[in-house]
Order: sequence, then C-alpha cells, then structure tokens
Amino acid sequence: MDSLIAASARALAAGDALGALKRVALRDDPPALALRGIAMAQLGELSRARELLRRAARGFGSHEELARARCVVAEAEVALATRDIGDSPRALALAAATLEAHGDPANALQARLIAARRLLLLGRLDQARSALARLDGASGLSASLAAVVALAQAELALRSLQVDAAEAALLRAHDAAERSRVPALRAEVAEARTALARPAARRRMAGAEQALRLDEVAALLASDALVVDACRRGVGVGGTWRPLARRPVLFTLVRALAEAWPGDVDREALIAGAFRTQRPDETHRARLRVEIGRLRALVASMAAIEATARGFVLRPHDDRPVAVLAPPIDGDQGALVALLSDGAPWSTSALALALGASQRTVQRALAELEAEARVRAIGQARSRRWLAPPLGGFTTILLLPAALPIE
Amino acid sequence: MSSSKTTTANSSDTARATTRPAEIVREYGPFEGATSVGGVTHDGRRVWAAGGAKLLAFDPASGEPERVFERAADAGTAFDGTHLYQIAEARIDKIDPATGQVLASIPSPGGGSDSGLTWAEGSLWVGQYRDRKIHQIDPATGAIRRTIECTRFVTGVTWVDGELWHGTWEGDESDLRRIDPQSGALLERLEMPRDVGVSGLESDGADLFYCGGGGSGKVRAVRRPRAARA
Repeated sequence: MDSLIAASARALAAGDALGALKRVALRDDPPALALRGIAMAQLGELSRARELLRRAARGFGSHEELARARCVVAEAEVALATRDIGDSPRALALAAATLEAHGDPANALQARLIAARRLLLLGRLDQARSALARLDGASGLSASLAAVVALAQAELALRSLQVDAAEAALLRAHDAAERSRVPALRAEVAEARTALARPAARRRMAGAEQALRLDEVAALLASDALVVDACRRGVGVGGTWRPLARRPVLFTLVRALAEAWPGDVDREALIAGAFRTQRPDETHRARLRVEIGRLRALVASMAAIEATARGFVLRPHDDRPVAVLAPPIDGDQGALVALLSDGAPWSTSALALALGASQRTVQRALAELEAEARVRAIGQARSRRWLAPPLGGFTTILLLPAALPIE
Repeated sequence: MSSSKTTTANSSDTARATTRPAEIVREYGPFEGATSVGGVTHDGRRVWAAGGAKLLAFDPASGEPERVFERAADAGTAFDGTHLYQIAEARIDKIDPATGQVLASIPSPGGGSDSGLTWAEGSLWVGQYRDRKIHQIDPATGAIRRTIECTRFVTGVTWVDGELWHGTWEGDESDLRRIDPQSGALLERLEMPRDVGVSGLESDGADLFYCGGGGSGKVRAVRRPRAARA
C-alpha cells in the first residue's frame, strides 16, 4: 500500500468520503479505483461506484486475489443497494471462499450475509432462513454485521407473522447497532421498530372497524375467532387455514357473509359482488347455489352456511365470533400490497387471479405502486415476479469500509 | 557467501537467488490508535512506526510505547541520525524527533504512490510501490538522483552494512530481498509466511530487521541471516 492510498483509506475510515476521493481522484491503479468506488458508494453514486469497483476487481492481478475478492464483495453490496439482484451469486460465493482461505473472516462473513439478504429480497424465504441460520452466532461477527443479521431475521419473522420472534430479533439488532455506533444502522433499527407499531391491517367485526398493529393481527389469528383474511385471501380458525387466493368468487362470497355476520346477505347482493352483474336472472341464482355449495364444502370444518328467506348466513361452529381482516387501505392497490406482504414472489397472473381482476387492471395498479416504491419487480417479461418492499429499509454500504483492499 | 556470485542473475529470476524462510523473532503491537503500520525506522535505541494518523516510538526490549506524535504517517519512515523523515500523502516531512515538529517538506518522487523510505550516505531512498521502483533522491530538494528497477511491488527499503534490502508485498506473498544496488539484480530473499505482509523495513544496524505489518497493525522483528553478515 502506498502513501496516498493509505491517506485516502484513513479518510474513508473516518467517514470523510470526499477527502478520500480527493486524494485518489486522478489515479487509475486498482487500489485507487477500489477506494474511489467505495467513496462514491458512500456519496450515493451507486452506479458509478459499481463500475469503479468492477474495474478495480479486474485490475488486480491473479496473485492479488484477496484484494480482488474484497472488491467483488463491495460491488455485491452496492448491487444490493441498487436492488440489482439478478447477477449470479457464484462470484460472491467464490469471493467468500477466497476470503476465508486468506484469513479474512470478517469480509467472508459479510459476503455470506449479502448472499442471505439477496435471497430475502428475491423472496426465497426458506433459503434465506437457512443461510441466516448459518450466520447466527458465527464467531467474529462484528457489531454492525450482527445488527444486519438480526434485522434480516426480524424481516423473516415478520413475513410469517411471528411477531414475538421479530421483536426479539429487533431487540438484538438494537443492542448490536448501539454497540456498532453506526448512526445509519441505529436509525434503521429504530425505523424497523416503529414499523411494528404502525397499523398493519383493519379488523371488521359485527359492523365495527378497528386498525390493528402486527402483534394484534397475530393475536387475532391465534384467537378462537373465525377470520376471513382479505390480506392473504383465505379463511382460518386457529391452526386451520383454507387458502382462497385462487378462488376469487368463493372468497368474495365468504367475505360478504363474514362482513354481514351475524346477519345474513341477500342473494342479489351476493350475485352482484361475486359475478359483477346488476341484472341477475335465474342462471345467476343457479350459479350462486353451486358456488355456495362449493364454499360450504370448503369451510365445513369451521362453519355452516345456512339459507335464509332472503339469502345466506354464516354460522361458525362452537359459537365462535367472525372477524374480517382487511388491508390497511382499500382498493386494488391495498389488496395487492397485502397479498405481497407474505414476502414471496408473485406473478402478475397469480395476483390477477387472486384479486379476481383483469391482468390489465393489476398491471396498472402495480405500475402505480412501483412508482411509489411500494412494490418491486424482479425478472423480465414472462418471468417477471412482484415482491413487497422489505419491511426494514435494508441498509447498505454501511459495512463497505471493511471491504477495503488495504493490505 | 554463495549468493554474492549471482550478481549477473536476471533480476526476475528468483530461483537462482538464495531463498529461505524469514525467521520472525518477535511481534510488537498492534498499538492503540494505529490500525495499520506503514513505515518503520530505528534511531539506535527506539523503533519508530508510522501508524496512519500517528507516528509512534516504542522500546524494542519491552515493547512499551515511548512517544506518540499525532500527525499523518501514511507510509515509509527514516532516520538520518538527527531527524526523522516521514512520507505523508504526497510529501516527505522532515521531523524533529524530540518535538514532532515538521522542519521541512519535499514532494515525494512518486507523487503519493510512495511506499518505503530509508536514509543512507546523504540520500533518501524511496520505494515506489506498484511501480516496482526504488528512487535515490536528494533529501533537501527531492530531486531524483537515480532509479533502480525492481521486479516486485516495493514496500520498505533499508541499507545495512553496504547491503540494500527491500520488502515486497504482492497479493498474499511478501518477502525481504537483498538486491544489487547497481543492477537491481536479486541476490537473496527471506520469504515471509503466507498472508504476512511487509509494509515497512528497517535494520537495527545489527542482526535484526524490523518490518511493518500493514493492516495487522504489528511490527515484526526478523533475524538477519548469518551469511549476509559474514
């Protein structure tokens, strides 16, 4: 390492990205390119940062594979920040192995953490879970890395509505972030904790409506109530769950019945909602009988659906109460966001099917949501999938200085 | 000494030079507030180490720090018998070892790509890291008197008993090399263990080399080979 590289790295470590840049601005040797890339990343110039880090990695000789691996990790971190996660994870895995072989466990851990966060962003929750499990409690985890591990675990727990586990993970993230003294990381953990306290859904029960936090949602789902869940599209009681995401007509019917409970719903209203027609005739009535019959069979273990003089009524077994869990905001957009909140990737056609809307309608709503950064897309054309944005802000580039090609 | 006969060797031919593993005698540091060590020098009693944001001196017998100057110390360090010289950014500062005060500064020959530094016979010798060069410069003006081409990335530079030694560090390979000061031909090398780098080099004038350990923050004492002293 030479003198200006050392001075630049020192400035960067002290948080002076501009000072670091100034010292190596005119140099194109690989260590200078790497430092420029990291400084640019910290200044928010992410695409320029990637280009510089890529050039730096290419510039290091074959016998400088440690420095090269650090550049690959830094570039992967920046790629994650730009949500460009389409690249093959192979280079990152190779870099992690190289770093481990060269006795750089801190950066090797960081490489593995980036890989796990990438899986989380891709909606591959099971793979992300096992990747994170391998990192949990790894020796030599710095405070900032431990905070990011805990944040990712909280995200995973929230996706599956394990609110207690999420709170515990956020507490660990908080402790680690305090120890790390990285301001952005502390802010991120604080933000994730306030997100837990925000309304996540609405409960409609016997005509009254109430906003619920995530823990209250979890409590409602664990209670003995029959819950018609308009976020995940299904019906559940305790541990029993009937998904109806692929049966939009049945879902519309059961939701209408649940919202009217303990009263009944008249046939015309059910027909208008489920079949989208204002002029029902005898064929619609016949179809309604068929669909109610199907629904009856599906929910038989949880409730009965009885005919009344003017329509139908929902009668849960064991005198259970009935609640409807609705997205926090109404409309197609709210329903889409609620569906995506499971963290898994959805295709446009699956979303259209679940909502009982046309693909065109869904695409329009998704485009609006994407512009507001409330959904994100991965893949192109037919393989395009939609995902909810991460619950946490997914802090990036905080950890980059550890990836400096300093010898 | 067998290796002295190889002065005609092609300088890139490491196979014909005497090669042996470096014998690390002792490790010092890391020192508080110095996350990496660049240059090292020896003033006859203390070892000085460039620790990035500070220049510090320690007693090699006890390993205890004796003096700390808060000042930029990015790469090579040298001692001419009276003053310290320290590479900082793209200049070489001449420093009073008693007060830490900078008495003069000259531009460094590599313009900031400089690594090692030593003083000998009225000249400063400066290693230029990735350019694989050693410059002999005028300590008053910084004017280049001569340039020796090397075959590896040059880190620390030192003279002892008329022998020119320099450290190399490329990737995970690092060693100490004695070269012919005229031709640059490699005469002898002491191989450091894998992933142990040499960022700075200074002889204590007797049987030890002090080596800066870069990002490890350590200073290592390496035994100077017996044959080289014969």
